[in-house]
Amino acid sequence: MNQKRTDILPPKVRAWLMRYASAIFFIALVGLWEMVCRIGDIPNYILPSPASIFNAFFDVEFSRWLTHLWATLRVALLGFVLSIVISIPLAVAMVRSELMTRVIYPALVVVQATPVVAVAPLIIVLMGTGDPSRILITCMITFFPLVVSATTGMLETPAELVELSQSLRAPRYRETWQIRIPYAIPHIFSGLKVSITLAIIGAVVAEFVAAEEGLGYFIQFSTSFFKIPQAFAGLIFLAVISLLLFKSVTWIQTWLFPWSLPKK
Amino acid sequence: MAQASDRAFVRMEGVGHCYNPEGGPMAVQQIDLEIHRHEFVAVVGPSGCGKSTLLRMVSGLLIPSEGKVSVFEHQVTEPRDDVGIVFQKPTLLPWINVRKNVLFPLKHKYGNYSKADEKRADELLAMAGLSQFAERMPDELSGGMQQRVGIVRALLLNPDILLMDEPFSALDAMTREQIGFDLLNIWRDNPKTVLFITHSISEAVLLADRVLVMSQRPGTVLDLIDIDLPRPRTTETIQTPEFAELTARIRKHIYEPEAH
Repeated sequence: MNQKRTDILPPKVRAWLMRYASAIFFIALVGLWEMVCRIGDIPNYILPSPASIFNAFFDVEFSRWLTHLWATLRVALLGFVLSIVISIPLAVAMVRSELMTRVIYPALVVVQATPVVAVAPLIIVLMGTGDPSRILITCMITFFPLVVSATTGMLETPAELVELSQSLRAPRYRETWQIRIPYAIPHIFSGLKVSITLAIIGAVVAEFVAAEEGLGYFIQFSTSFFKIPQAFAGLIFLAVISLLLFKSVTWIQTWLFPWSLPKK
Repeated sequence: MAQASDRAFVRMEGVGHCYNPEGGPMAVQQIDLEIHRHEFVAVVGPSGCGKSTLLRMVSGLLIPSEGKVSVFEHQVTEPRDDVGIVFQKPTLLPWINVRKNVLFPLKHKYGNYSKADEKRADELLAMAGLSQFAERMPDELSGGMQQRVGIVRALLLNPDILLMDEPFSALDAMTREQIGFDLLNIWRDNPKTVLFITHSISEAVLLADRVLVMSQRPGTVLDLIDIDLPRPRTTETIQTPEFAELTARIRKHIYEPEAH
């Protein structure tokens, strides 16, 4: 913001506003929602007011929330970890060998292009209704951004560093491990941020198809009994969890790889 | 001594290269050059004339499609331990500190390094005036300091031959002149045989014992000029008429190639 302009607000007020702008906007939005519901006398089963959602949240026993949360979190995190374990070696293989790229990449695109929501019932038929099928569904949704970001990152390693490695006649695995993978860390973390939110989506999709517990299941079940405030409470809980997981990825990056953060 | 200097450290005989194996335009052709012990040879030429190709062929990163490159009278077929490279950009690893960057070639080649190696890294850093930055991360250093670390890194394995690929081209003019003098000091204390690629004529004349002038692509030798300016060379060297004469001679080659 270099342009010259007269500012009506004193700098202190302006700074305060900048800091809390998003919070103020959010609170205003919730307030507006509450007002519309009250003034318009909208029934709870159409659009519940924030207050009724708040109450619905506390009407459900805490231990029940924990059970559903654990079910969803377990599937999301295991699916997420599985997709990391699968996608990094795939990316390494594709970076190291043109042939592997030709073999693997089309298959990856096919998997990615297939709508997982449509495949999910088939996977349940194939693998049963337990955690494994739900984890596989989550993994199918989350792995692609990881493979792409890790591959891109490794390919963006400066040519000179690769030449340095070649001029030292170092073993190839060290080129991958000591140069390419660390170089890809910023990219990998961008991929992880996308994937972690997709992991929650994957887990919920799987629960929609077949489950007896989990936040996705809870939302579907509440809706079918017209407990709309309760469904909204589940939805908001899910969104908060998703946000926290997203934030955790950033925390882990700051903690383990501070050098990989963008320079201010 | 006389005998040692008779033996060429680097020898190129009729060297040419074409990047397309099926044939096509040559990047460089008909290069003949001998570089002797502890000699500093600079290569200048217009951009795209194949200067870097030349360096890569000496390093063994690239095998010429024509002619023969030998180091210590052995034909170069792969990178050698006695050749160190300084690249155009310092290309330090941003996730390790300066000392570890200097030690990286050992870590990368052998998987580990000893206390003695660490001591040597510290000595080299001290020589380059970087002692107090050993623990810093690369992005905390200026461009000139980063490139000095790059030079120190190339010296760690104590190569007999140092290949430098436009190492100062990313630096601003003032830093560039200073680091040139720093390099001369390092070279005086650690004599090496140097092949130095640059597109700065004055840099070539200031640093080198001999300057190879290359033509437009396909790069070939236009002239090989002995630079008999006395050493140590300083800022005063730049102001001597001999310096002006030599740079003018090279400039003529570059700007009026049809005259030859």
